[in-house]
Amino acid sequence: MNLLVAQAQQIEAPQIDYGAIAPLLVVLGAACMSVLLEALLPKHQRWAVQLVLTLGTLVGATGALIFYATSERPAQGVATLAGAIAVDSPSLFLWATLLVLAFGSVLLIADRSVEPGGAFVAQAAIRPGTIQDRAQATKTGMQTEVFPLTLFALGGMMTFVASNDLLTMFVALEVLSLPLYLMCGLARRRRLLSQEAAVKYFLLGAFASAFFLYGVALLYGYAGSVKLSAIATAAAGTDRSDTLLFAGFGLLVVGLLFKAAVGPFHSWTPDVYQGAPTPVTAFMAACTKVAAFGGILRVLTVAFENTQWEWRGVLYGVAVVSMVIGAVLGLTQTDVKRMIAYSSVAHAGFLLIGSIALTPEGTAPGVSATLFYLLAYGFTTIAAFGIVSLVRNSDGEATHLSQWAGLAKRSPIVAGVFTFLLLALAGIPLTSGFIGKFVVFSAAIEAGLAPLVVIALVASAVAAFFYLRVIVLMYFSEPAPDGPTVTVPGAFTTIAITLGAVVTLVLGLWPTFVLDWAGTGTFLS
Amino acid sequence: MTKNFAAEIGDTAKLLADDPIWLVLIKVVGIFAFLVVMTLFMINWERKVVARMQHRPGPNRVGPNGWLQSLADGLKLAFKEDIRPVLADKWVFFLAPVISCIPAFLAFSVIPLAGEVNMFGQQTALQLVDLPVGVLVVLACSSIGVYGIVLSGWASGSPYPLLGALRSAAQVISYEIAMGLSIVAVIMFTGSMSTGDIVGAQASTVLGFAPGWFGLLLFPSFAIYVVSMVGETNRAPFDLPEAESELVGGFHTEYSSLKFALFFLAEYVNMVTVSALATTLFLGGYHAPWSGDFLNTGWWGLLWFIIKTLAFLFLFIWLRGTLPRLRYDQFMKLGWKVLVPTSLVWIMAVAVIRTGAIQQLSTAQRLIALGVVVGLVLLVSFLLPDKKVQDTKGVPLAGSGFPVPPLDLAVPKSAPKRKVKVANIPKDTAAVTTGKEAE
Amino acid sequence: MLDPYLPLVLMFALAGAFALFSVTAAPYIGPRRYNKAKLDAYECGIEPSPQPVVGGGRMPVAYYLTAMLFILFDIEMVFLYPFAVAADKLGLFGLVEIVLFVATLGFAYVYVWRRGGLDWN
Repeated sequence: MNLLVAQAQQIEAPQIDYGAIAPLLVVLGAACMSVLLEALLPKHQRWAVQLVLTLGTLVGATGALIFYATSERPAQGVATLAGAIAVDSPSLFLWATLLVLAFGSVLLIADRSVEPGGAFVAQAAIRPGTIQDRAQATKTGMQTEVFPLTLFALGGMMTFVASNDLLTMFVALEVLSLPLYLMCGLARRRRLLSQEAAVKYFLLGAFASAFFLYGVALLYGYAGSVKLSAIATAAAGTDRSDTLLFAGFGLLVVGLLFKAAVGPFHSWTPDVYQGAPTPVTAFMAACTKVAAFGGILRVLTVAFENTQWEWRGVLYGVAVVSMVIGAVLGLTQTDVKRMIAYSSVAHAGFLLIGSIALTPEGTAPGVSATLFYLLAYGFTTIAAFGIVSLVRNSDGEATHLSQWAGLAKRSPIVAGVFTFLLLALAGIPLTSGFIGKFVVFSAAIEAGLAPLVVIALVASAVAAFFYLRVIVLMYFSEPAPDGPTVTVPGAFTTIAITLGAVVTLVLGLWPTFVLDWAGTGTFLS
Repeated sequence: MTKNFAAEIGDTAKLLADDPIWLVLIKVVGIFAFLVVMTLFMINWERKVVARMQHRPGPNRVGPNGWLQSLADGLKLAFKEDIRPVLADKWVFFLAPVISCIPAFLAFSVIPLAGEVNMFGQQTALQLVDLPVGVLVVLACSSIGVYGIVLSGWASGSPYPLLGALRSAAQVISYEIAMGLSIVAVIMFTGSMSTGDIVGAQASTVLGFAPGWFGLLLFPSFAIYVVSMVGETNRAPFDLPEAESELVGGFHTEYSSLKFALFFLAEYVNMVTVSALATTLFLGGYHAPWSGDFLNTGWWGLLWFIIKTLAFLFLFIWLRGTLPRLRYDQFMKLGWKVLVPTSLVWIMAVAVIRTGAIQQLSTAQRLIALGVVVGLVLLVSFLLPDKKVQDTKGVPLAGSGFPVPPLDLAVPKSAPKRKVKVANIPKDTAAVTTGKEAE
Repeated sequence: MLDPYLPLVLMFALAGAFALFSVTAAPYIGPRRYNKAKLDAYECGIEPSPQPVVGGGRMPVAYYLTAMLFILFDIEMVFLYPFAVAADKLGLFGLVEIVLFVATLGFAYVYVWRRGGLDWN
């Protein structure tokens, strides 16, 4: 270390707390290794090696995280890498959530039992509908690049939730988005739909990133710094014009809300959820939501806590719009994946309630509630998409609701688990969804958002209707004679679904220890 | 901030900062004239040298010994008909020569022609401007020049120019990477991107006699720069964009008259600029090959500079007279698979050695650092056997997707002779098997 | 003291004026004897292809790939230049960082190479 300060006029190297960012380094380092393996391994070895590497990475990163979290560390967290990354209690909780959810998603991604060769196309560069495309339909290989892409997206998400300044946040946003755009276009079946989804997501996502960046520029103009804490300081006591601040805030938040699929910035969600390969949809629905709301929570509580009275009304409205759109449009859907997409829009509204639940005294009761909600929702969603990937006919997944009629008669176990998951999404007691809604709503009431809670309860009731509709369809309709079959899943999908369902149940029955953990600390400011 | 900046800028920049506006104008006009004259001279010189290499006299009619031939050609071009094809995009077709011409002249502004001189009673440096980002100006200008090429090809509304423009653009940007990377090592040794500082850093001698030129010290960088500068200017043996056997004239096929002359001018000015930059970066600029002499002061610098630049220009001509044109895939392979990785490895090696020297590391530490870099390089190079594309069975497909006849046709040992009876002619020996496996 | 960029602007103006004058004057100096053959696209004497190339023309996707690779490596260059300027001051930390940076891009480079992204057929 003394080498670094050998000369007087040297530029000083920033201090790096390697222990704190170890999970991040493990994930990103493994992603690079994964690219190299992809380049050098022969085709038949790639899947196995990549899978072992990816799962090993997730376990290793979780290990590093647990080691750091249980060791001696500053209670309020540390800001490392020249203040670019803040590792505090919410960061650690979000990292853990992301890692565990990614573990479930990777299991779904790696599965090759449900669809021979996996849900991913063998060679994505071949144009759909050509002779070569028909020839590759019978191949059992898959584009194993999806593993490094997953790791890069995960690394971006982990950086995103921990970034302490807006530029780091922007870079992380891109790192998490670009792999996702690509992964959306890799479906083995219905390739045109999948590629359309990828292009839509990419174009709209690029727009959202531009909004975000523009917001960053304006906020820099206001505060003279991109650091979250500096923006808070600048906003606290100056007579500077607020125009830049609020214009910047608005653009920034639009970018964030887009990623989180909050209505009215949700328009990509149904198409992308429907077109993307189902394991990728699961990954997006669970992990991207966690990352986006992690970022929103940090930005709102750290940078804009002082100015909450100015912007709270706007986000109040956004939350209402999101819940209404999700609940009402969800009613009209006839496709399971689109229905879950609209349900995620409604959930984004509930999550936003938690995010804006800040009290005038400067405490944020919504933070721990939202963190818990994200964890619970993520597991339920992964399991739900796992089930969706099982119901198939000769064309691939049978996602039309009419095809799900009478599913309980064909496969009572799958229908039972799906029912349980839908009930969790609806927020029925004994499931994690209920506890999540309960803590978020109580935090909102504590923060004086009672009218919003009333609207949210109504929206929940409406949303519950379309979940129940699926349940009724599965149990009380006659199965169509040429209806889909339920594939018996292999170990990976089984583990993923079981993990999701069990966590949903456990968090519904004994939520205390996770709630305690979520509430251990606040954001570093 | 300003104070820091003032401390950072080099001596040349300080000298130039005091230039009155009239001196700047004189320099601008002077450099412009220099480039135009160099172009006229270069065209003639090229024709003469190539002619000598091919044992013919070359142009010898117009002016003394034929030296005014290019001037006559240039004047004649102005009186030629200006044609714009009907399918061309009017404004882009009109503006493309301008876009290609301006950056060519602009890039030369940062080249130091000589050191401190007295011009009309004013102490100044023989250089238009010495910016802290000097080298970047040259790179930026060469990048903008690509727009001229691409837009001219696109706007012509004709297939040959379009293909020529695409090739040219791909070529220029591919070699720009290698070119840019070869400069990094020089900047590392100078600690500045200003061309004045770079020349200043090469003033001293090493070991008492050898000139301290970066071309000797950083020879790999120099070699990469020279190769990529030829690729960058689309000159033989890398003149694929205007491979007349394939693409007629390349991107300027549809241009005539003065518009064509502008492209021609831009190409030769670019050649002069990259040669001048090579002189500046690697051959000590305006310094004489020895130091501390009367011949190393004032206007003498211009002489050395021009001699060195002309040496590079002669290299261009020599290459053209000697080497056949590369195939496009060979050319891209050279750029992407040889020059770029070599540059990167070389830069890293230079960085390690230099940081080691600055930090005064122990020998063991230096060896470890060097070992790590060498190990990484070896690892990568071992892992990089060229992957052969498997020859798939079935109809061989050309890039366009049209089936082509198999290339391994069995040729009969002897042609069937007329004497042989008709019935004995072997059948099917050379049957074209296209379509046999067309499934 | 003049602005250090003023000479560049003057050079730009002179070169621009010269080039603009040339392109504008060209049609007036030269003769004007147009006919259909001259105004068609030049394809060595054969009838020009009926499809207009401007706008609707397709081009091989390999050029697109080259362009993307160029951007990647250009960005690498952009980061290498400031490093090179400050290399001596950054010391060992800077060296380690830049080696890591180049290595990260090196992985991608190896990937592209192995997948044939650098090959032309």
